Amino acid sequence: MSSLTHRRWFGAVLLLAAVVALFVIWREFDPLIPRMPFLTGWALLLIMLFLTAYNGRKKLPFLPGIRSETWLQVHIYVGFFTAALFGIHISMRMPTGWFECTLAWLYVLVMLSGIGGLLLSRIFPKRLTTRGGEVLFESIPAVRRSLADQAEALALKALPDAKSTTITDFYTEHLHEYFAGPRNFIAHLFEVSSPLNDLLHRIGELNRFLNEEERKLMDQIAKLVRQKDALDYHYSLQLTLTLWLFVHIPLSYSLLLFSIVHVILVFAFAGGTS
Amino acid sequence: MSEAQTIIQKPDRFDNPFEPEGLKDAQVARLLSVAPFKAMDPNRFPKRTSLPDILKHDTRIRMFGKGELIVRAGDYGTSAFMVLSGSVRVVLQPGLASSVLGRRETRKVGWFSAFAQLWSNEKHPEVRTPDQLKQDSRVAARQAGKQVKVFLQDVPRVLDDHRTAEMKAGEFFGELAALSRSPRSATVFAETDGTEMVEVRWQGLRDLMKYDERLQKHIDETYRERALATHLREISYFNHLTPEQLMIVMSETDFATYGDYEWSKGATAAKPQETVIASEGDYPNGVVLIRSGFARLSNKFGNGQRTLNYLGAGRDYGFAEIAHNWSHKDKPVTLQHSLSVIGYTHVIVIPTRVMEQVVLPTLPQHLIPVIEQEAIARGDVETAASMDAGARIGPDVMEFLTEHRYFNGSATMLIDLERCTRCDDCVRACAATHDNNPRFLRSGPTNGRIMVANACMHCADPVCMIGCPTGAIHRESFAGQVTINQATCIGCTTCANQCPYDAIRMVDVRDEEGSFIVDEAMRPIIKATKCDLCVEQYGGPACERACPHSALVRMNMNNLDAFARWLRR
Repeated sequence: MSSLTHRRWFGAVLLLAAVVALFVIWREFDPLIPRMPFLTGWALLLIMLFLTAYNGRKKLPFLPGIRSETWLQVHIYVGFFTAALFGIHISMRMPTGWFECTLAWLYVLVMLSGIGGLLLSRIFPKRLTTRGGEVLFESIPAVRRSLADQAEALALKALPDAKSTTITDFYTEHLHEYFAGPRNFIAHLFEVSSPLNDLLHRIGELNRFLNEEERKLMDQIAKLVRQKDALDYHYSLQLTLTLWLFVHIPLSYSLLLFSIVHVILVFAFAGGTS
Repeated sequence: MSEAQTIIQKPDRFDNPFEPEGLKDAQVARLLSVAPFKAMDPNRFPKRTSLPDILKHDTRIRMFGKGELIVRAGDYGTSAFMVLSGSVRVVLQPGLASSVLGRRETRKVGWFSAFAQLWSNEKHPEVRTPDQLKQDSRVAARQAGKQVKVFLQDVPRVLDDHRTAEMKAGEFFGELAALSRSPRSATVFAETDGTEMVEVRWQGLRDLMKYDERLQKHIDETYRERALATHLREISYFNHLTPEQLMIVMSETDFATYGDYEWSKGATAAKPQETVIASEGDYPNGVVLIRSGFARLSNKFGNGQRTLNYLGAGRDYGFAEIAHNWSHKDKPVTLQHSLSVIGYTHVIVIPTRVMEQVVLPTLPQHLIPVIEQEAIARGDVETAASMDAGARIGPDVMEFLTEHRYFNGSATMLIDLERCTRCDDCVRACAATHDNNPRFLRSGPTNGRIMVANACMHCADPVCMIGCPTGAIHRESFAGQVTINQATCIGCTTCANQCPYDAIRMVDVRDEEGSFIVDEAMRPIIKATKCDLCVEQYGGPACERACPHSALVRMNMNNLDAFARWLRR
């Protein structure tokens, strides 16, 4: 068993044990501790502060201490653990009232965005590597511009060489827009290759109306089309890998903020409870 | 009838003499008239590398002023020196302060200083503070034509404060460092103005040794005297020898250098030339101890050789076979693997006879290895598998590593692209720990899922350190990271041009206000920068610690077993 698989199993078993222990403690002590929701609430708040602190740790890479990799592992498993704690805190019932509902939905969204991010970070790197053509995200616009320039130059070359506007017309109608910016974002995310196939099919259709010289030029343009598709693939996946954090982090801070307000409200209206 | 002509094939290196035009005939004649060249027999040298030819093409005569540093302890070099006239002094232990040698003592940043980087990092790129550029006043650099010379400012004081030894005309120094590609062991400076030195590059030195027994004997004796005992004591199976036995082993030991020190030139272009040191199936003539450089351990596979592992400094070859033959005289075996050179390799060879008569009888039974073929026959394949890192890594990746000479890296930045989310946390962490200046690029050659990022690998054979005129690029005394002292770097680009991996960048530096720092002629001051492996940080390399997905690692590529484990983690 590889060390990463071993780590995954270890984390899962530990998580399962913690969840089981939590439920056992809850069943045994719930009747004895009347303020159990207070206890679980404070625990949730502290854990949420801890989970949010991971973002702070990323801002302080120069400090000696726990490696980011270990932080992330703890972040993931403790994050899953909060689901059980959250369930106990709300006594396994649907929340009532708009504030509690908003709070609960925020929690669910943070959890789902976290799970989504985890899946993306495990699936997308493999897909990017399999596709090949590794490129830095910041370099993508420059590479795209270069491909567009090359394609346009080839299309224009067809005019004096073939004395025909077939290729330039095709370029203007179908390829200019294609090379101008990122295309087929969603298709790339779901590994759908029909947009590329459609375009290549059109190029194939056009070949029937081209002479030998023009066909050679069109072959070169088709090669650039494939390169641009690979570039768009990297753009889509790399951008998604970056953007999911822009969902998860604001949601996490919102949840933390709502939780603090929730604590204030609970204590403000706690008079008379025992 | 046409006259018969004798065509002599001169070595390629003679096309690029050490001195641009080669020594003048009068200078060659002068060298031939002084010791030790005077005593050399020209008839022992072949026509293609005659003694005058070697002196003409492989030596140069250099003048040094009073107090000028000739070599620094810790520097790497590929040439030896001989005093021609004047006087030079060798600084004995404990040696000159590191700041005098152009280096900087690295101090770890404290907790508060580390935390303060959050707000104290510079806004402008490549800012150098006056403190960072402050030089030791006991030493000064002066421009002399295209060269930069470094002088001790107060020679009498150095002589008073340090133990030194005088070297006189005809004496060689630096030959061990040149031949074994090891750091210079002492600092040497000129004591008088107009000191003349003959500098011999390693190729010439190797030929001189080959054809002149006296020089060979002198260098052998020096090697045995200064370095051999320490080297042998580092190998576990020599630890049981008495001092008398060790002396016998030392007196019988041979050493040799294979390959080419210029291996790094065009490192990523052509396939390395490999010289075979020992072949699979041959009788084991001796235990080969690798002192520096790299060798490839391989097995016959079809019509080619399959790489099992790379052996770097400190590894040995042939011991198992010799020990097996000694303990199983009825079932002798031949060498189980081939050993060939990649780039260059400096080796020590202990003859089989000495091993059998002196070393093996002193070893306890559990230290006598069982030959792997027997282990395999018994079903105990663990030993064989541990040697065969190549099988676990795969031929494709092995070829990739060899082609790019990545086995040279002691802290190569590897990125597993199947785990890397391209989040750039590593780059941000690097920038945050280096005043907002990232010291590597998250891009580089890839093979399958492995990317070798463009970051300094802190090479086992640091060719970047050869030729630095001020000693600014140096190894840290404690952990051996290669770092650059910004105060003494003069921006000559020697290190950046030498680095075969393009891991050193030259940058225009600025002051704290963001203005470019310029010299008297209003030219911008340029400094060399590169990854320093976060030598000042307590936690180690920030890039590695910042990676959330265990995708990035700093790996010693001389240990392929660790690399194989990482690949299969």
